[in-house]
Amino acid sequence: MKLKSLCAALVMMAVLLAMASAKTRDTKDEAAKSAAASHPAQHDQDMRFEGEKRFHSNCSRCHAAPPKFPARMMGTIVRHMRVRAMLTDDDVRYILRYMTQ
Amino acid sequence: MKKFVLHAGKPTSVYLLALFLILCGKVQAQDSGNDIDIAVKPVPVLTGSTAYFTRVTGGQIQDAPTVSPLLLLPVGDHLLIESKAGFSDTFTKNAQGDYAGTVSYGLTYAQADYITKYATFTAGRFITPFNMYGERLAPNWIRDLQTTPTSVGISSGAALGGMIRGGLPLVTDKLHLNYATYFSTANTNHILATDRSTGGRIGFFLPGPRLEIGASFQQVLQQDRPHAVGTHFEWQPNAIPLTLRSEYTRSSGTRGSGYWIEAAYRLSQIPHMSATELVGRGQQFFAAANLAPAVAKKLGPLGIDSKEGDWGMNYYFRSDVRASASYGRQFALGRNTNLWTIGMTYRFVMPMWPTGGGL
Repeated sequence: MKLKSLCAALVMMAVLLAMASAKTRDTKDEAAKSAAASHPAQHDQDMRFEGEKRFHSNCSRCHAAPPKFPARMMGTIVRHMRVRAMLTDDDVRYILRYMTQ
Repeated sequence: MKKFVLHAGKPTSVYLLALFLILCGKVQAQDSGNDIDIAVKPVPVLTGSTAYFTRVTGGQIQDAPTVSPLLLLPVGDHLLIESKAGFSDTFTKNAQGDYAGTVSYGLTYAQADYITKYATFTAGRFITPFNMYGERLAPNWIRDLQTTPTSVGISSGAALGGMIRGGLPLVTDKLHLNYATYFSTANTNHILATDRSTGGRIGFFLPGPRLEIGASFQQVLQQDRPHAVGTHFEWQPNAIPLTLRSEYTRSSGTRGSGYWIEAAYRLSQIPHMSATELVGRGQQFFAAANLAPAVAKKLGPLGIDSKEGDWGMNYYFRSDVRASASYGRQFALGRNTNLWTIGMTYRFVMPMWPTGGGL
């Protein structure tokens, strides 16, 4: 009974967090889109920085940074690493972009 | 408490499933409006590693060239077929003083992965998701020390069946959840041997401080049906080029329990030594109580209490070519041993289809 109550409470907390956070995120997305449209060079740099950050957070945990391969090879390697290292969808996209720029 | 009475008849798994779906929905909301996608048509790739190592274990010299090819075959936007094999020839001095080679080979994994946003569905032969060493650190071009920790052998390492796994941000992007759950059938083929087992792993990763902690469970569904539990930990502080890793595993059966702690420090802040990495590892293994002598002998290293300290150095000529050397001292009852290792690894990557140069 205690476990069921705990699970129900967790579900309710998740709902509240989801509602609160989705609103904040929507606002952030809109701000990011308008920033990208007005300052494309800065936006590209931000994307590269984010990709590099995610690369170092995830890939460098296990191995040294590989050289940059052609994009079509990187697409395969990143897909393999997504499965092996259980990367998130966003991680994969940022890292692929970073490794192919 | 009264407001939960309506749900009292529902099993706990329903709540957990609801929680999972809500979190997935939350993540989907986060991802909307993203403009980071680039269109890449992946090509088949042959990768893997070759290595040559000389090992001296208690005065016994072994030379072992190995090759471990990995074929990656992407199909469409969601499917990946991957297969990795291992081949080695271990040369040891025999009674006549001659070197005699023993060939060994095996299929590490051969699996098909269907990838979706939050889950990857895997079928085939795969590495069991238990702790982190087997799946992430085992390839010889990745592992910081070439000797495998004793406790890694406690759990069943290979599976033949199905698996669901994935990673997703949890509530915020500052906390990631990774999970894997699997079921394996028994197979007695000498190359594909697996136990009938089930289990899984869950991990929480903080990308900011680069810290991961996780737990694993495995239930063998044959013979004396032992189960194993494990925890793992990994931390890379942002301030210094240090990696700290640790695993603990305990089995309810004959395979005992053990842990290892490893630290690797890259001398990247010292001029002319930035390609050098220093490694140290300590481990302890506790054999199961009341093992019959015949069982203990059959279990090998898992049949006797032991402690071991290893120290090593890796030098990266390039990101894919590495020289390694290590010394270890193993303390076991009546069997204290020196372990020396020296050798090189090379990781290769080549396309199996024209890459075209562009996207």
